[in-house]
Amino acid sequence: MSRLAARSTLAPGAVIPVAATAASLLLGAGLVAASGASVGEAIAAFWEGMFGSTFAVGASINRAVALTLVGLGFILANRANLTNVGGEGQLAVGGIASTALALHGAERLPLGLAVAAPLAGAALAGALWGAIAGALKVRRGTNEVISTLLLSFIGLLVVYWSVQSEDLLRQPVTSAATLPESLEIPARTKLPTILADPSSPLHIGVFIAALASLGVGLTLGKSASGVRLRAVGLNELAARRAGIRDGRLVVAVLAVAGAFGGVAGAIMMQGELWILKAGFTSGYGFDGLVVGLLARGSAAGVVAGALLFGFLRSGGLAMEITAGVPAAVVVVTQGLIVIVIAGSAILMKGRE
Amino acid sequence: MLELHGITKRFGAVTALDDVSLSVRAGEVHCLLGENGAGKSTLCNVVFGVHAPDAGAMRLDDRPFHPAGPADALAAGIVMVHQHFSLVPTMTPVENLMLGPLRGRLRRDEVAARVRGLMTDYHLEVDLGRRVGDMSVGERQRVEIVKCLIREPRLLVLDEPTAVLPPEEIGALLAICRRVAAGGRAVILVTHKLAEIASVADRTTVLRAGRAVESVEMARADMRSLVRSMVGRDIVLLDRTMAATLGVATAAAPDPTALPAKGCPTSSPETARRPEDALVLDGVSFRDAAGALRLDRVTVMVKPGEIVGMAGVEGNGQSELGMILGGLARPSGGRVFVNGRELTGRPPAEITAAGVGIIPEDRQAVACIGPMSVAENLFLGRLDRFTRFGLLRRRALTAAAAELMRRFDVRGSGPDAPVAQLSGGNQQKAVLARELSVEPLVFLLAAQPTRGLDVGAVAAVYDHIRAARDRGAGILLISSELDELLTVADRILVIYRGRISGEMAAEPGNREAIGALISGHAA
Repeated sequence: MSRLAARSTLAPGAVIPVAATAASLLLGAGLVAASGASVGEAIAAFWEGMFGSTFAVGASINRAVALTLVGLGFILANRANLTNVGGEGQLAVGGIASTALALHGAERLPLGLAVAAPLAGAALAGALWGAIAGALKVRRGTNEVISTLLLSFIGLLVVYWSVQSEDLLRQPVTSAATLPESLEIPARTKLPTILADPSSPLHIGVFIAALASLGVGLTLGKSASGVRLRAVGLNELAARRAGIRDGRLVVAVLAVAGAFGGVAGAIMMQGELWILKAGFTSGYGFDGLVVGLLARGSAAGVVAGALLFGFLRSGGLAMEITAGVPAAVVVVTQGLIVIVIAGSAILMKGRE
Repeated sequence: MLELHGITKRFGAVTALDDVSLSVRAGEVHCLLGENGAGKSTLCNVVFGVHAPDAGAMRLDDRPFHPAGPADALAAGIVMVHQHFSLVPTMTPVENLMLGPLRGRLRRDEVAARVRGLMTDYHLEVDLGRRVGDMSVGERQRVEIVKCLIREPRLLVLDEPTAVLPPEEIGALLAICRRVAAGGRAVILVTHKLAEIASVADRTTVLRAGRAVESVEMARADMRSLVRSMVGRDIVLLDRTMAATLGVATAAAPDPTALPAKGCPTSSPETARRPEDALVLDGVSFRDAAGALRLDRVTVMVKPGEIVGMAGVEGNGQSELGMILGGLARPSGGRVFVNGRELTGRPPAEITAAGVGIIPEDRQAVACIGPMSVAENLFLGRLDRFTRFGLLRRRALTAAAAELMRRFDVRGSGPDAPVAQLSGGNQQKAVLARELSVEPLVFLLAAQPTRGLDVGAVAAVYDHIRAARDRGAGILLISSELDELLTVADRILVIYRGRISGEMAAEPGNREAIGALISGHAA
């Protein structure tokens, strides 16, 4: 019995998500048909949106960058048995910090600092947001799921406030038609693109995400900190007795997860949005959380999941615009992928 | 009734059971005797259908018996009480019983009536009105037994039931086993205490290293031969300590090596270097979250090179004392000094750095992280020694762990296997290995260090504690087994309701007086 189970769990990490994704996409196609749109047209648009042009590919990868960072933050904290659902708020405060610095002074900094300073500021802001949840947990025992979620709502509303008030980040109001949003950030603070092809939006955020993935992978798999995080996650009391400062570690890991979210927000801001608007995070924080959940603790899994969701988002947008398929279909398909992958994981566990 | 033929079970490279055959008859108590890791629990799990054997066959009533899981075993009338109970603490016994085997619409009253019937038949004392969480371990165990008996089983398997019990409750449990057998049912009782076997078993099978080395009728059994079979060497090698653990201690003449003379440690050259006491607890008090005073101005001094025993029934403040000494709780009053340095309320890392080793009473909760490897557990607090450029040097860690495992005779499939796979005795040896390799060791707290361990492991624990004492460490040995304290400690303090109620020399002649203090009768 145990031998059989061993064989079937050989590569579940890879086989199950792929099969689940394929099945969900088929179901998605069914939904497209049910919504009345032409399936052929929809698939063509979907493909076009994902891989049809250098723009499509670049935009998809840029989306994946933000998702990767949030997902990495999730699995890092999750190693200590912490569930950081605050990605959305961490993106939001990161975006605010990045915009504020980009608009107020970073432009004049030499070398790459014009780009790096807003990114660093965003990391700090996100870290603070995460650390608040960590400190609440350590000092008061507040469940981090609740605190990070509530901090997300606060973060989103702070964005809203920032772009409503001229004292904060709103552009100067010149007429009744002035939108509640920031000025566009200066060109020098925007993330440089990688390819010579001007139609490709692919920017250096990819390198940041790649470095972060490598760092998180090494931390979890090969470092002493990874072992300590796991120890705290498995048995806090025994970890503390062994001399691990578990309280510090909890605050630190939630701060790092928050910093990842903050940088992701800055990358969205400096990479392609360039203007701070209410709701700019548009669910990336929660999608990143799902990516992290599906990755089951693997940094490579986060990258794969983020790419999948990044391309799906692009394809979905194209489907909506050119083939008139409701955006909800894409959302539903994403939901199906999550349920099928998570469900199959539970099934596997039950069989062991 | 149940016959096992040539049962073999392997876990990876480890052969847990090697060609084991035995038979159990209706109406008998069949004891399985063996050291930790001898395969006793595995054998029970095979019978109960948890593990499928790799080779061999079982027959139940002369019919082949291949349980695919515990459900099959239960259907065949085999029930098992595990070492770890499965009861819902917030429910009463009757509510717990209604969760399990009983289906359909059952009235609480009917279940309660059946439970009362069983309680009278088998003299099982259980307070049905209390929640399981408020019960003593012994009472919980009786609820587990009722839970099994209510199924009208034919075979009751008890996996080390006495390991978790305080001494005064063991006799009652053994009497229950006899009554269950007298009703025509069969009982398999796993233990490593010889004294229990003598009083309860009809037959005994001795397991050693996965093999059934001896199977005897108790009427014809020779205790010496059983011990020899169990530990694989002759009883003449057993010192008083081991005899005490086996429960076959006699009023033997004090053995100078086992019972050091009083006053000897202070004259050793080691102590001259350390004029300070290894440990001073100065009026330590502790109030729990509910406001109850758990420790009341406890003052204890432990000199270097001295083993101070702390006797008492569990729950009289020993756990709280352990938490405070380990840095997991802050005293509400009083101060703690180690080697003259104040450590009151300091974090565990600082306490360890000050030369304090802690063997906590609850290994699972405080000392071991089951899913993590032995190596990780051994060096969790010292991982920095094994990092280069921020990365862990796994090979060096594994090698260091292997060395430590060899020195402390921790047996298992290797340093990289999860610590949960080790037997209890080997887990405890791993904890000892970690806590005794604190350098320099100034003070060691050993709280219930031998609970649930077999003879060989107990002797190893004592040897290590004595060796630490001989190197000049001060040791506080908290134990609820008076025999243990009389054998190992130099002097004995008694803790009763959070207070030190008395102090006695660790001499067998003081047994009665210490016993009186333990039970709260002032001396």
